[in-house]
Amino acid sequence: MPEVKILLVDDEEAITANLAPFLERAGFAVDVAADGEEALHKAAAFTPHLIVLDVLMPKLDGRQVCRRLRATGNWTPIIMLTQVGSPAERAMSLEEGADDYLNKPFDPYELVARIRAVLRRARPGVPPLSAARRLACGPLVLDRPARRALLAGRELPLTPKAVGVLDYLMTHPDEVISRERLLDTVWGWDYPTGTRAVDVRIAELRKALGDDAAEPHYIETVPGQGYRFIGTVEALP
Amino acid sequence: MNATRRALILALIPFALGLATALLLQAISDGLPIIRLRADLGTWLALLGGLLTLLALIGVVVWAVAGRRLDRTLTEARQAQAEAHRRFLRRLDHELKNPLTAIRVGLANLAGTSPAEARDRTLAGVEAQVSRLSKLATDLRKLADLETQPLERAMVDVNELLSEVVALAQERPEGEGREIALTLPQAPWPLPQVPGDRDLLFLAVYNLLDNALKFTRPSDTVEVRAVEDGRVVTVEVADTGPGIPEDELSHVFEELYRGQGARGTEGSGLGLALVRAIVERHGGTVTVRSRQREGTVFTLHLPLD
Repeated sequence: MPEVKILLVDDEEAITANLAPFLERAGFAVDVAADGEEALHKAAAFTPHLIVLDVLMPKLDGRQVCRRLRATGNWTPIIMLTQVGSPAERAMSLEEGADDYLNKPFDPYELVARIRAVLRRARPGVPPLSAARRLACGPLVLDRPARRALLAGRELPLTPKAVGVLDYLMTHPDEVISRERLLDTVWGWDYPTGTRAVDVRIAELRKALGDDAAEPHYIETVPGQGYRFIGTVEALP
Repeated sequence: MNATRRALILALIPFALGLATALLLQAISDGLPIIRLRADLGTWLALLGGLLTLLALIGVVVWAVAGRRLDRTLTEARQAQAEAHRRFLRRLDHELKNPLTAIRVGLANLAGTSPAEARDRTLAGVEAQVSRLSKLATDLRKLADLETQPLERAMVDVNELLSEVVALAQERPEGEGREIALTLPQAPWPLPQVPGDRDLLFLAVYNLLDNALKFTRPSDTVEVRAVEDGRVVTVEVADTGPGIPEDELSHVFEELYRGQGARGTEGSGLGLALVRAIVERHGGTVTVRSRQREGTVFTLHLPLD
């Protein structure tokens, strides 16, 4: 297998100085850019397989870098390192077409796990599901900008967090998503409620979807690990 | 708009009164048989003008005094806010200093530590301090998020929520083997649902219960109970712990405040501040009563509409 190249973009040298060797030890070839302009330049010159992109940077910030790459048809997978996990920020990030998000301060092992998962899912040159405005799985349609889900044309009565969970699961189909990761991306906080908060929303989703936990069509429980979206998801135009 | 119109009308009243008086006086001085006033119109008008000026002056003085009082109140509020801000920074500085010192000492120690297991121990200590700082950063963000984020408003089943909070608290190391008495009304009807964000309300009650378990001994009693009166659901978390000194009670909801009794206990110092922020976002209130050596009760009022 050819070497996998990662472009690491962060203006904080204290982070890149340790994170680059850490990623190299995990088996990746790593190049580092310290700001957005350098990132755009290296994205072209270094042709990475994946970009780890910090959001808050001088000159061009991470969002602008992502938008510019996507505007030129560059669909290199991107994992964004965000500072705040607020729903408003996540709604914005939908427009940018990043493949995944990780909140700072993050666990470096978690970053490696995400890099592997994103690379497994990514198909070269094809926009990721997380860049689509509407996703479909059979009769289930997720209208992402409107934050609503429809089943056979009828809108499902879901709480905003349940829609957030469904969104993350549908943009990462076939992948086992831990409850901790759902908490981190959808809630943005670590709740003491932990896994229970997630389970409550999954139960809400299953009820609305009419999905049987024992014989699921959409959301499968992976004992001891988390949840997996098992339907085939496609991006709608 | 309304206020301006009212002010305009008020301003026209003296003129109208003056005009009316002038006409009346003219009639009187011209020929009422019984009372004959021996002053001409000019004098009367001059007197009237003087009177109006006097009234206006009194008005201006009253207005200025009220304005100055308002200014003083505003200045005081601003000073209190600035003082709270300084206090917060002092506490934050203090909260950061300890873990950072521990990390520096740990790192300095690492260089001279030779056996691998001693090194591992030092590293584990450094990592624990890093987690502590991460927790602080996360809690500070929660507080900031709470003020800006839109609140999810679904109907929350308080019965189920409280049972879950108690079950979860008992699973934690501090709660292991502890008995927590949960009292929920069944007659004449169970608690109604409360509109709000389930996860946030869970966090609020959990923080209170977590505190109750942290600051009491295993032999102490901890109770969680709830009642409703048709307008609010009242949730109480009570314990027979050491209690909070009276001079500390008014500060316990402040960010990063730590009372004397809480210094040695783990925590970010933001738990109760979060409780207050959550309850207030739900339009409710939180209060505390405590007696030293007898115990403490925190009371949440959550409105039903």
